[in-house]
Amino acid sequence: MTADAKNVNILVFACRWCGLIGADTAGRRRMELPASFRVIPVECAGYVEPDAVIRAYASGAAGVAVLGCHIGGCRFNDANHPALKRLELLKTLLDTTGIGGNRLLLGFGTAHEYHQWADTIRAFHEHVAGLPSMASWLPAKQ
Amino acid sequence: MTKTGVFLCNCYGEIGKVIDLESIRKRLEADPAVDFVSVRESLCMPGDAAEARALVCGRGIGKVLLGACSPYGRMEMVRLALAKEGVDVRTVRAVDLREGCAWVHGKDPAGATRKAANQLDMELAFLQNMRDSKDVAVRIQQGALVIGAGPAGLSAACGLARLGFPVHLIDRGTSPGGLLNMVTRVYPSDVPGPEKLAALVAETRSNPLIRFYGKTKVASVRGYAGDFKVALAGPEGKTTLRVGAVVLATGARLLFPQGLYGYGKLKGVITQMEMERQFAAGKPACQSAVFIQCVGARNAERPYCSTICCPLSLKNAMRIVDEIPGAKATVLHRDIMTPGSVLEAYYRKALRMGVQFIRFDADRPPEARGDGQVSAVDVFDAINGTTRTIETDLLVLSTPLVADPESAALARMLEIPVDRHGFIAEVYPVHPVETRNDGVFICGTARWPVSSDQAVAQGEAAAVKAASFLGRQTVPALSMSRVPGTKLGHAEADASACTGCGNCVAVCPYSACKLQRTGNRSVSRVIKVRCKACGSCASVCPNGAMQIPEQNYRVTGEMIRRAFREVP
Repeated sequence: MTADAKNVNILVFACRWCGLIGADTAGRRRMELPASFRVIPVECAGYVEPDAVIRAYASGAAGVAVLGCHIGGCRFNDANHPALKRLELLKTLLDTTGIGGNRLLLGFGTAHEYHQWADTIRAFHEHVAGLPSMASWLPAKQ
Repeated sequence: MTKTGVFLCNCYGEIGKVIDLESIRKRLEADPAVDFVSVRESLCMPGDAAEARALVCGRGIGKVLLGACSPYGRMEMVRLALAKEGVDVRTVRAVDLREGCAWVHGKDPAGATRKAANQLDMELAFLQNMRDSKDVAVRIQQGALVIGAGPAGLSAACGLARLGFPVHLIDRGTSPGGLLNMVTRVYPSDVPGPEKLAALVAETRSNPLIRFYGKTKVASVRGYAGDFKVALAGPEGKTTLRVGAVVLATGARLLFPQGLYGYGKLKGVITQMEMERQFAAGKPACQSAVFIQCVGARNAERPYCSTICCPLSLKNAMRIVDEIPGAKATVLHRDIMTPGSVLEAYYRKALRMGVQFIRFDADRPPEARGDGQVSAVDVFDAINGTTRTIETDLLVLSTPLVADPESAALARMLEIPVDRHGFIAEVYPVHPVETRNDGVFICGTARWPVSSDQAVAQGEAAAVKAASFLGRQTVPALSMSRVPGTKLGHAEADASACTGCGNCVAVCPYSACKLQRTGNRSVSRVIKVRCKACGSCASVCPNGAMQIPEQNYRVTGEMIRRAFREVP
């Protein structure tokens, strides 16, 4: 129950062509990861709308990671490039609202970089665990 | 609402020893959206797989959720096996309980079970809220348009005609041949340029499927893969065509070295093309010819190697030595680029024939001297560190191939990108003759500098790629995905919600979204063939008008809501 007690809930949007394959390989290599993250597979990092990221915080996520292909290596030509710009802009908004842009992680890697996937998840888990609880942001439970 | 059938796999204990499958089964069975939950020992093995198939088909269930190993591995086989039984593969979703939960969270069984329950919940939400992209079939127009009748265009046109497709071959010149028409000898076979292409040119005349349009350019292109509406502007006025595919073989041109090494000021300083013209008119009058390589190439402005200039200089240097008694030829180079066995042998041959090679530094380029007429070249020999003076009466500048501005204009018309040098960009890295716009193929030097042999090979490659597309009568838009398997779906624009802001048009990486005027407002429309379902348009739409029905905003919203739901 350690993960939930500290409320380190991390929602990962992983692109099906790079991030998710990296996750798959990490699994096959049995790399030990914290069980705090949930994955939503998406076709492309470009699919992740800023609105969805904000909704994730409202649904109890303490951190959101968007993991796509390398810039220049997107399966959909260059769709992840505007996505990066969009989400970087969102970080500013998160800073302004007080949630904090450091709760949003943008990661880029190729399908075979499973080490990077594992390191990213572990580091982000540690990072989010060190941040104050999101409880005050969440609506009171009925 | 169609209920979902759930299969959980124990994977001979690999999953079950970490994840409490029994509690997950109970939990799922309580969900009103679930029809049945079946826990299996090994879903991928023939016995269980057959039983699962029979269960799905017997109940007539459209939606299946697999909680087993990775969807990239054996679960893909299970999905495809279900697809064979008539189940829509897009309504079969897999959660990787093994790689994604059991194996990475082996030390935290409670956490792994919670995660597994959440992920299964999320995928259930996907299946319950997904809608179906209405597939459209594109009727393929049988003809092809080949733009440019150089080596690449000719071989593409002949290749397509041999496969039985009508070809419209256009060129801005009066006759086919392209740059090779001006070349008196083509390396490495040393045959005259027109002779090299003679068989292909004759075929364009004899094959009734090929129609050649001389002095003709493309005025406009509309449409998409399978149905391009092209307007040609030629001597007979405007011609309109409907073709299924377009092959771009517009070639490149040689850089004009104005102001470099005294070109334009000193007599006797010429380009490789002028050298070809001198050979065409007879023997050049010279006793000593000097060739300078990489003129205006491999520098900051043009960092690329044009690949053809080294063999070109070798060929012309050998001709000087061979045809003019007592004449000398010197090649000043930075590196001699002769890849492959044939060209390397060509270089050895030039060495044997007495062509001299001097290597210079890019920082200390040679200098041409002379008063009105070039008389000598000073070059700092990078190998022995001395400055040498070579008496000469002919200085030939090897300039690189550069992109034709007309190709860039065509690329804009065909909605395909060019690289930073103006060459047309292929789909990197595994589709060398395809472009971002399906149905538009590229070959030859419009794509990148290549030798005529390679251009012919690329033309044939483009012909085969185009033919494999044109060969079908109709193509379902959902199959146009460039990678094996079908697309997730394609974006759909809700005309009643669209305000015509154009965000989707700006962001679409395939130019699939178009604003269309209806009445007094503009609304977005998706060209289904082009859409690859990345979802970029959906993420920038301020009104939720753009959606991929399969993973619409309800799906994502519900998945987010369920991600951290408490598991008792």
